[in-house]
Amino acid sequence: MAEQPSPKSGGKVSRRDFIKLMAAAGTVLTFAPFVDWGKFLPNPTGQSKERQKVELPDGSQANVNNFPVNHSEAVIYPKTNDAALNKESFRTWQFIRLPEELGGKKNDVSAFRLYSMVCLHLWCLWKYWPQEGRKRGECPCHGSMYDPQTGKAFAGPASLQAPPNNVLPRLDLEIASDGNMWIKPPNWSVNGNGIVGYGRYLT
Amino acid sequence: MGVTLHKENSLTRFLRWVYVGVERTIFMGLKFTFPSRFVSPLGFLGMLTFVLFIILGITGALLMLFYEPILDRAWNSVKTINDVIPYGFHLRNIHYHASNAMVMVALLHMYYQYFSGRYKIRNEILWVTGIILGVLTILEAFTGYDIIFSERAELAISIAASLTNSIPIMGPQMRDAFFGSGFHDFVLRFYAFHVFFLPIAMLGLMVVHFPRFLVFDVPMVMAITGAVMLTGGVFPVDMGLKFDPSVPPGITVPEWYLTGLYAFLRSAYDKFTTGVAWPGLFIFILLIVPFIDRYKKFSWKDRPIVTAIGITSLAQIIVTTYWGFYIDPDRTKSLLERLVIDPVFLYLVMILLVPLSFGFTYMMIKLARNAEANAKIQPKKPSGKSSINLSEKSIYLIFIALLAFQVYLNIAAYYAVLAGMKNYSLFIVGIIMLVFAAMFHVYRHGKSMQKAPPPKPTVPPMPMKAKPPSLPKTGPTAGEVAAGSKVLEDSVTKEKAIAPSTKASTSSSQSVQSVNKTESTGPTHSEHKVVSDEKK
Repeated sequence: MAEQPSPKSGGKVSRRDFIKLMAAAGTVLTFAPFVDWGKFLPNPTGQSKERQKVELPDGSQANVNNFPVNHSEAVIYPKTNDAALNKESFRTWQFIRLPEELGGKKNDVSAFRLYSMVCLHLWCLWKYWPQEGRKRGECPCHGSMYDPQTGKAFAGPASLQAPPNNVLPRLDLEIASDGNMWIKPPNWSVNGNGIVGYGRYLT
Repeated sequence: MGVTLHKENSLTRFLRWVYVGVERTIFMGLKFTFPSRFVSPLGFLGMLTFVLFIILGITGALLMLFYEPILDRAWNSVKTINDVIPYGFHLRNIHYHASNAMVMVALLHMYYQYFSGRYKIRNEILWVTGIILGVLTILEAFTGYDIIFSERAELAISIAASLTNSIPIMGPQMRDAFFGSGFHDFVLRFYAFHVFFLPIAMLGLMVVHFPRFLVFDVPMVMAITGAVMLTGGVFPVDMGLKFDPSVPPGITVPEWYLTGLYAFLRSAYDKFTTGVAWPGLFIFILLIVPFIDRYKKFSWKDRPIVTAIGITSLAQIIVTTYWGFYIDPDRTKSLLERLVIDPVFLYLVMILLVPLSFGFTYMMIKLARNAEANAKIQPKKPSGKSSINLSEKSIYLIFIALLAFQVYLNIAAYYAVLAGMKNYSLFIVGIIMLVFAAMFHVYRHGKSMQKAPPPKPTVPPMPMKAKPPSLPKTGPTAGEVAAGSKVLEDSVTKEKAIAPSTKASTSSSQSVQSVNKTESTGPTHSEHKVVSDEKK
């Protein structure tokens, strides 16, 4: 309050105090780079260092030679041995082979997409609708729509969100010589594969 | 010790030994008073908040025995608690309504302290810890209704996560730390926050927040507990629908203490500004308000600007809270159209409320000043409602009637439980509490009547419902409280040395002095006495 007494020393800092302060600041600055900033409470079950199968709901591995064009399946990634965890929305991904006009006929990775199914608006599960005239991802909850080619929301509430909250996280795929499809280890960041339920920057 | 027990036996000796030992602990530093008359609860709303916290702790602990914080089981386990577990329905309803009551009482507590100016006079620490406690209370309530994992909970979690994410620089990392990744983590972490992190932080802050003088008014505590149960009986809380990510959720709004924030979020303006910056600014202003309030006086009438700011905040809170609830009922429009609030409109109203509130405050102060001046001019009335005088006989009659009602209610509650009418039984238990509060009050009144025999006119007029005088310390009418508990104490024991003098005195300093450690046991003994009286 108003009647606080003024410091006795007249605001001067003694040499000793100054040196102490410098020592403290130096200590803090020395150790600061070694603190694992921002990774305090991670959950390692979401991490994976190795490539994983694109495992379809029937248990088979997706193969580039027999997966139909303009078709989608739900894929669990990263898959665990726990049935409850596998039901987690944040582990469900939509595996899409693009329609013909978007290059779905090609027998390479460019014909395939793997997007997080968690809608960027309020986390319902959207899915791909292959019907003529639709051919897009639609969220049942508030009607957000996603472009299958880029994963960008083009209609509904999700499209109104500022980047990176309007582009679906996407996993990178690779095809083995036998045509089997694999998921590359992801980089969970907005500039990499994106953050599930949050989004990704289009690069 | 203040209490003389008539007979010494091993038990009383043991109790005395414990009592002497406790004297060394921190508890004896707290000065509890058990008022012997009706005192306005406004002065001890903080104590009521704490009582609600304890109720929440107990019911919450019991709920923990059955709740499972696992993704696909959370909702089902709450359903089981609600429908299958014996008394689970009661526990859940008391827990829910007590949480609402706690937020409400804490808010009232804050605004009362704000307008009465008590946060100044070296109470800044109490105020600042109180604000932090208030924020934690809301977070606690928020995490609580999220871990049911209904549709509404999921929406709340997703909004909270997106708000955390929107914080510049540290946002995504904070989201990782607080929420983890995925619903499984959210439920588990919110549960951990709800049952441990937040309560433990609150308890720690409470140690700092407690003032030295505490008022524990038994009937009021009983009444508020009863009110919580009664509300639980009348408005049993529903389960909500289990969250299913592939089913469009219905329109849900958050709990009432968050709809104000929700109104801003619905303006579809930048998330960080609406959801983090505005509430942050509000909390920050509350934190620093005792340091910017430079008025030398305490009454709201003498601090026009501060009062006006308080009124403005109240008006804005009320308007946005209602606005957050309101959703355009026109179903022909799209959902987005119904939900989104035009930001220009919203902010215009917010700004418009400022001059309106300032004008309102100006008018109120003017009216209050006029009333004061008029009261001075006019000859003093013989203190309008001085006291209610009941004859001894009628007190007995009322007491017996209430007792009979209690017996009837107990039987009714028993049969209601047997018949499975859960909310009816909860309702009745609420009434039992309220009747007990009334009984205690009548009993207390009778005691003080008995203590204050014929020489009546000398008794100072007691402000029954009027605003208590702004004493610098906690208790609203510390003088009366002190005197009252003395009376109670004396009615138990035979020593009468100090009682008459303290009773007459209303000077705060003296009576605060007299509220010493001995009181903390006195009244409890008198409670036992009530029981024994009833048995006769």
